[in-house]
Amino acid sequence: MVAGTETVIEVSGLRMRYGAKDVLAGVDLQVRRGEVVVLLGPNGAGKTTTIEVLEGFRLPSGGRVRVLGQDPAVADEGWRADVGVVLQSWRDHGRWTVGELVEQYGAYYRPYSETGRERPHPVGELLERVGLAPQADQQVKKLSGGQRRRLDVAIGIVGRPRLLFLDEPTAGFDPVARRDFHDLIHRLSDLEDTTILLTTHDLAEAERLADRILILDDGRIVADGSAEQLARQVAGRTEVRWTSGGQRHVHATEDGTAFTRELLARHDDVHDLEVRRTTLEDTYLTMVARSDARRREEQAAPQRVEAAR
Amino acid sequence: MNATTNAVRVGARRGWIEMRNSLRAPDDLAYYVIGAAVFVVVMWLNRDNEIEGTGITAALLIFPGVLAFSTMFSASYGLATQVATEREDGTLLRAKSVPHGMRGYVVGQTTRVTLEVAFNVLLLSIPASLLVPGLWDSAGPQGIALMLAVLLLGLVACVPIGFVVGAVFRSPRAVGGWGMLVIAGLVYVSGVFFPISQIPGWAQVVGQLTPMYWMGLGLRGALLPDSAVAIELGQSWRTLEVLGVLGLWAVVGVALAPVLLRRMARRESGSVVQAGREKQLQRV
Repeated sequence: MVAGTETVIEVSGLRMRYGAKDVLAGVDLQVRRGEVVVLLGPNGAGKTTTIEVLEGFRLPSGGRVRVLGQDPAVADEGWRADVGVVLQSWRDHGRWTVGELVEQYGAYYRPYSETGRERPHPVGELLERVGLAPQADQQVKKLSGGQRRRLDVAIGIVGRPRLLFLDEPTAGFDPVARRDFHDLIHRLSDLEDTTILLTTHDLAEAERLADRILILDDGRIVADGSAEQLARQVAGRTEVRWTSGGQRHVHATEDGTAFTRELLARHDDVHDLEVRRTTLEDTYLTMVARSDARRREEQAAPQRVEAAR
Repeated sequence: MNATTNAVRVGARRGWIEMRNSLRAPDDLAYYVIGAAVFVVVMWLNRDNEIEGTGITAALLIFPGVLAFSTMFSASYGLATQVATEREDGTLLRAKSVPHGMRGYVVGQTTRVTLEVAFNVLLLSIPASLLVPGLWDSAGPQGIALMLAVLLLGLVACVPIGFVVGAVFRSPRAVGGWGMLVIAGLVYVSGVFFPISQIPGWAQVVGQLTPMYWMGLGLRGALLPDSAVAIELGQSWRTLEVLGVLGLWAVVGVALAPVLLRRMARRESGSVVQAGREKQLQRV
């Protein structure tokens, strides 16, 4: 998906303070129309808080937030109709049937329908898409955990949103459900031009879905770029491992292809060759470790000044 | 159609579906039927028990009180419990996440409660008509009309109380515990099950501040013969006061409830629901 130039989310200096603790300490981020952006970060980094501010569910302590041209804290119902939120259901609406529930929430979007963008999605079609068609007449409380999450996604997109928020949407999915979910996200992004911001702990998922990855740590964005760009920022390295002369070798290089070509040209007895690009996991762990080190340094700095006196 | 009208329609449909789901659930249905059966049995046992100086049986006196109690119970206590529960389980947050969803939610709950009250009134009236002699003898068309007017006005007075209590208390357990105490007190001071003239003066004063007393009085005025007015305060049905006080409760409630509901809704977010869920799971 090629992202447009139109900015859908614009955040600068976003702060959130609970008591004496800054959960968000000046977050800056932009999301352009059509982008799929994944927000990564350790537990307690402020991912959920950030998303809830953008959804308009939480008032920030400071900073400027613009989502689809409005401040979410005071946005109108028309804005609400353009924003899809995938919530994590628990035991709400247990007695409703899947079809009736999706129908009910879709019905709120009827007045916002326009030619070329009919809203809501027809229920049958939508249930087909999230793989819940056979469960249409089943009670919500009888769904499995994975089916429930898919129902949450269906309700989140029933109004054909321009912008979709998902907070850890695939927690508890089995591999097949996860794959189906990824296909769904790709389709939303490619076919419907939906801008998507999601959080996850699954790095493979982030790599598969994201046009761009943001890493949030300790209330700040510490990295911003595609998976490849982030990898280059960390080390830009490919790891090459091989055995020659009965000995195991490891070499890290900027250009894995060139190095391997030369290696094979020079040596005859290269066995067990392994060429491995830096994974997002390596990148992520390095970035978070760097941010931790920086934090420790910052905390230590004033004490050093004290000591110098 | 404009978005506000649409939300009202969606909400009305929501209320209808919720009531239908409730009638299909065996535990809810048992609760309605057993509740009504207890009152009907009490009335049947008192069918010949004449109250001195009134010319009516205790069964006839209890019937309007039961209607008033049942309406207040569904519209205030029942509604408050539901709102607190649905705040905890994320239903409210879901409502907040769609355009005009809170409006739809409020209309939905109001519709559901109205249907529940109507269902309860039928569930009490039909068997009582068959088992209690002379139940409708003094009512007449005018009395029936007044009964329906008092029930409707009482409903409008009690529903905002339900929303406000559900919005103020943090959890459905809190509503359940404290709510029951309040209900017991209300039953005592509002004279729905025995003549208010038999309780102490201070309790009579408190009772006359509650919509339940006025609903009971209005319904007795609508359904009982004039001879029964002897045991009322001031020996009068005070019909204008009934409509006035219930109307006042209704106006104040309808004006105040949306403000409190909006304040409550503003606090809802995914992490608040998540925190409530974790707390709940710890308790279990």
